[in-house]
Amino acid sequence: MPAVTVLGLEGSANKVGTGLVRDGQVLSNPRRTFVPAPGQGFLPGQTARHHQGCVLALLQEALQEAGLESADVDCVAYTKGPGMGAPLVTVAVVARTLAQLWNKPLLGVNHCVGHIEMGRLITGAQNPTVLYVSGGNTQVIAYSERRYRIFGETIDIAVGNCLDRFARVLKISNDPSPGYNIEQMAKKGQKLVELPYTVKGMDVSFSGILSHIEEVAHKMLASGECTPEDLCFSLQETLFAMLVEITERAMAHCGSQEALIVGGVGCNMRLQEMMQIMCAERGAKLFATDERFCIDNGAMIAQAGWEMFRTGQVTQLEDSWITQRYRTDEVEVTWRD
Amino acid sequence: MEEAGADRARLGCLGFTLSVPFPSPLEAQIAHGSLAPDPEPRKGGISKELTVTENFLHVCWKADEARVLRVSISSFLDHLSLVIQTMEMFGPPVPR
Repeated sequence: MPAVTVLGLEGSANKVGTGLVRDGQVLSNPRRTFVPAPGQGFLPGQTARHHQGCVLALLQEALQEAGLESADVDCVAYTKGPGMGAPLVTVAVVARTLAQLWNKPLLGVNHCVGHIEMGRLITGAQNPTVLYVSGGNTQVIAYSERRYRIFGETIDIAVGNCLDRFARVLKISNDPSPGYNIEQMAKKGQKLVELPYTVKGMDVSFSGILSHIEEVAHKMLASGECTPEDLCFSLQETLFAMLVEITERAMAHCGSQEALIVGGVGCNMRLQEMMQIMCAERGAKLFATDERFCIDNGAMIAQAGWEMFRTGQVTQLEDSWITQRYRTDEVEVTWRD
Repeated sequence: MEEAGADRARLGCLGFTLSVPFPSPLEAQIAHGSLAPDPEPRKGGISKELTVTENFLHVCWKADEARVLRVSISSFLDHLSLVIQTMEMFGPPVPR
């Protein structure tokens, strides 16, 4: 079979990326991040404008770095959802235009499935229990009978959203990302401040923890009861312990010997370390990737698109609308047994 | 005020039309293909129809409120500009 090259475009949140993947090889994967001022989050309108301003330059970069021309691309994949509406449309509009200009098939990809397939490709994990943790999603996922099934998830906000919003409370810089800066500060934390621990069966809840810390943070800091570093440390320990607990329970349920962490929060080394301890105790293997592939990127959409394309899937233009809500288990996984 | 607003809403009294020329009918068709798939929000009190004749893309809006109309047109123009830039950078379309 001839090599199949897929171009992937991602822009569902504050990262915009273009990636080229050819039969399991990442040829290029440039990305830009919209970084709001400290104390602020990213809003749909300004994020979409950021993406509009750099998506075309990123496409040229991806092709140049891979040494490819448009004629070498077999399929154009883009994120159909879930995510923020305005940024999603921006990237979808470009993907549709490219597919038509080059007369190549178009493929709408589920963002979550993109993360899972990228994680599997990079780590070589065969059939892992997946912990998908990012600014918009928190899910524990296992594959069964042509679906990525959600075993547990957040019942309110995503773990990354909890971290991002905590960073805003302390006015921690969003450059390169709030989560990265919290991680660095947490390394200097000395004291574990007690926070609510809210695992509900297979699910987790983070909004109460956030409200609690929002309420007590400034008082505790003003009285010298703890330092900002202690708060970062305590928040990470609490949130990650909850994630490890539900992942372990899913692994026990599935008899799984592999765990895979994907999503932007997945590049946090403390989370990886805690998951590693749990996996070692169970005699299981942990798989994780670094920020190039954990954090949203174009290649992950290309890779999921490649898997879909080789099993004959394409998206007709009239069906190529984006959707802010698109659950991981809505996708029929035609490319796995 | 409320009732007047409701009456006006039923009429969909605000309209706006736009015609955009492209270098060829194929490019007008491509712009249509790129810009038509995403529907307006369902409860938005706004409708938008895209058609192509020859090398022109025509867009016709109907809305209840100027505010909603403005938002829709403004975001459409952003996307249209992106389509045109994409064509300039990665076109012309391969012959069919």
